[in-house]
Amino acid sequence: MRLEIGNINIQDIQFGDKTEVKNSILYVEKEALINAISGDDHIRSIDVEIVRPGESVRITPVKDVIEPRVKVDGPGGIFPGILSKVDTVGEGRTHVLKGAAVMTTGKIVGFQEGIVDMTGPGADFTPFSKLCNVVIIAEPHEGIKQHEHEYAVRLIGFKAAKFLGEAGRNVTPDDIEIYETKPLFKSHEEFPDLPKVAYVYMLQTQGLLHDTYVYGVDAKKIVPTLLYPTEVMDGAIVSGNCVSACDKNTTYIHLNNPVIHDLYKLHGKEYNFVGVIITNENVYLADKERSSNWTAKLAEYLGLDGVIISEEGFGNPDTDLIMNCKKISEKGIKTVLLTDEYAGRDGASQSLADSDPSGDACVTGGNANMTIILPKLDRLIGHQEVIDVIAGGFDGSLRADGSIEVEIQAITGATSEVGFNKMTARMY
Amino acid sequence: MIVITNNPKVRYAFEGSKMKFVEGQYLDVLIKVRDEIHKHFKLLTHPLSGSIKPNETPYKSIALEPCDILDVNSLMMIENAILVHDKLVNDKPTPEWSDRILEDFMIIDLDLFYHAVVKSV
Repeated sequence: MRLEIGNINIQDIQFGDKTEVKNSILYVEKEALINAISGDDHIRSIDVEIVRPGESVRITPVKDVIEPRVKVDGPGGIFPGILSKVDTVGEGRTHVLKGAAVMTTGKIVGFQEGIVDMTGPGADFTPFSKLCNVVIIAEPHEGIKQHEHEYAVRLIGFKAAKFLGEAGRNVTPDDIEIYETKPLFKSHEEFPDLPKVAYVYMLQTQGLLHDTYVYGVDAKKIVPTLLYPTEVMDGAIVSGNCVSACDKNTTYIHLNNPVIHDLYKLHGKEYNFVGVIITNENVYLADKERSSNWTAKLAEYLGLDGVIISEEGFGNPDTDLIMNCKKISEKGIKTVLLTDEYAGRDGASQSLADSDPSGDACVTGGNANMTIILPKLDRLIGHQEVIDVIAGGFDGSLRADGSIEVEIQAITGATSEVGFNKMTARMY
Repeated sequence: MIVITNNPKVRYAFEGSKMKFVEGQYLDVLIKVRDEIHKHFKLLTHPLSGSIKPNETPYKSIALEPCDILDVNSLMMIENAILVHDKLVNDKPTPEWSDRILEDFMIIDLDLFYHAVVKSV
């Protein structure tokens, strides 16, 4: 499967009379966008704002961030099983409005999280402060159920990204990247001497505000299976995960998963990157046993020499991570784990809720309990009152001068467990 | 299956199931579950269900089933959950939430618990 990703660099977004890309500027016809994403009976009103890097703006609570993309060649469309038919994607050419994003916000439950600051110290902790964002503010009707609200906001975000992505259909990309994964036996014929590696991609799948969808299927209900890595770049995996802002994978992160992109860089040189094993993180322990048995079985079946395993979320997924690690290691396959830490504010406590000696190669996205003071910014998009009840905050988080003290777990993407962040550790 | 919970919505939704309702906090549920594990019950659901932290949500619901022996894996899991709880609560105690927010936490705990056990029984 071969996919060309045509990146169209977007340096600014402005409202205009027509939705189009001209000279690296995305112009958005506001009314047409709102019309394209309206229609859900549960939503009372929709407004759209544009925010840019460096502006004194705080957006909260952020639900999802989505990159505008359009398929210009090859089977299927963006977000298969959600907005497009269920054709298998990942082949042909896809255009990307690189530097642009759709950001959805909504107070789905009273207790909230997800801060994106576009300037100041908080901006350094979120990858989304570096993008020009089209922020969708969707207000629900009174009495809406939480799952109806979450569904509506999720779909609105995807529709907005698809609408904007269409603006890139006939634009010549600034650069084209080519990603190719061949069927297993062909790939082995081509690189017989290289170690075979795969990516075990753990998806958050527990229930309300904790879900992920694969080709439109609730991933709680899957058994682990295989994807070509390029399928992910066309939106085969989307987020319905609104909890644990720092380490949830937004749809933007799924589309740009750095594990997949980086594995491609040395594919065919240092190793043979054969594909992606997706698996879930269910609450029921027998599900965890079954799924980890299957990831290990698939890893063995593919004849792998090594895997990278990434986790999503806090708490019980630590158990899935360790089960995957242990069972895959027992097959004689090397593992590297990607996670983040809840090591307490001083960083001295045990980082994960589970462990095993086989997890001897582990990369962390950072300590989510680390605190930060976010200064008052000029403009707030979303819900001001939410800040005092935000994850990682505490009574009095919102200070008299408008600054807030929170753990970095409140910041969207701060401790990404697939490495889509800027945190690093250095020893002196 | 036996349900141990301090969530009134789970008590209501699983009326008719074998249940021990805990009038207490998140930690009280974990300790009650640990007691039951010592009395030869094993965990069916993970005690750290959900990404909402133990010092954020006050509610917890856990399913167990009888077991012939002391299930060491369950014991390790509940002890680790208690450690995680204590670590986070020592840094920042669970806030005094409004009724509206408490209701949301109940709904999320119920939804996660329901999806875990209903498809499996």
